[in-house]
Amino acid sequence: MTTIRAALAAGVPADLRRALEELLLSMADDEFVIGFSDSEWTGIAPILEEDIAISSLAQDELGHAAALYALLAQVRDDRSDADAIAYDRQPDEYRHARLLDHGRGDWAMTIARRYLYDTADAVRLEALASSSFAPLRELVDKIRREERYHVMHATTWLERLAAALGEPRDRLIAALEELGSTSSTVFTPLDGEPALLESNTIAAPMAQLEARWRASLSSKFVHLGLPMPPAADLADGRTGHGEPFRWLWTEFTSVRRLEPQATW
Amino acid sequence: MTDQRPPDRDATSDTAPALEAWEVFRQEKEGDAMRHGGSVMAPDAVLAMHYAREMYSRRQESVRLWVVRRTDIHDVSDPDLLQPPLDRSFKKPGGYVMRDKLAKARERAER
Repeated sequence: MTTIRAALAAGVPADLRRALEELLLSMADDEFVIGFSDSEWTGIAPILEEDIAISSLAQDELGHAAALYALLAQVRDDRSDADAIAYDRQPDEYRHARLLDHGRGDWAMTIARRYLYDTADAVRLEALASSSFAPLRELVDKIRREERYHVMHATTWLERLAAALGEPRDRLIAALEELGSTSSTVFTPLDGEPALLESNTIAAPMAQLEARWRASLSSKFVHLGLPMPPAADLADGRTGHGEPFRWLWTEFTSVRRLEPQATW
Repeated sequence: MTDQRPPDRDATSDTAPALEAWEVFRQEKEGDAMRHGGSVMAPDAVLAMHYAREMYSRRQESVRLWVVRRTDIHDVSDPDLLQPPLDRSFKKPGGYVMRDKLAKARERAER
């Protein structure tokens, strides 16, 4: 395991360090917010088995978020820790994709969002699999092994909802339409992208990753007869979170705010 | 919007698929026997495998799972077949004194 200190000691330029922080924060916030959204199903999922499955998936995502926040804290080297980054920010300081801003919704909405997110995340992780920043590359290697199952789970459900004519299919299409132009916001370009590309931290620009994702999404959606997500306005793809996220933020920070100094 | 009907007509239906029981067998480590772990309810084999994974290996407690549709299991529980009423003690090895015979057999084998 490469230590972060060793990886950074080689002298990372300030602009690359800022870019790394931006990338790690966007990935960690994505995993954190979808993890919390999906945990809203605990106790009320369609059947008992699915209740356990979706809750376990949600825990996986929170685990990935915890690891990414911890790595971010080490890169920042400012004595912040994973919990502080996860919980001690105001809602407008979170940098998750707006795809994850629609509230839990019904089961079809959850599956539509999961499918779009998990397939997009898989493309992003692939672009980090041979990252020059060793601590991230090693973490991504572990995360990808768990995310493979997440894509399988989302695909299984997407195919079944799409094939079940009537209410399941109608609800799935309504959910995809509601997600609409936020569908591809995982690929919102980062300010630090030039530095990340130049240092080979990430293998391709977000725009190129989005095209890759759309190509694979399109073959699946054509087969299932589902509407492709429209092109997004990515300018504010990770900012301007609305009311559903404020509600979720109030939920997931409620215990932390009771006693911010508590040690867990 | 694209065509509302999926091309794969065979897989479509207007009614929700029925849940059925699947028996789950698990292997704790390579080389161990597969042991019955329990069961899950699922509408098909793929979801049954997903649920078996969550129910019987989400804490990494298995290295292999088998998922079997309960109705594919042939049940043998007729007492006339398994627990017949007549004395069967002569089929058990307890009545035979084997020690001396075994010792002689070993001796022969080593010679």
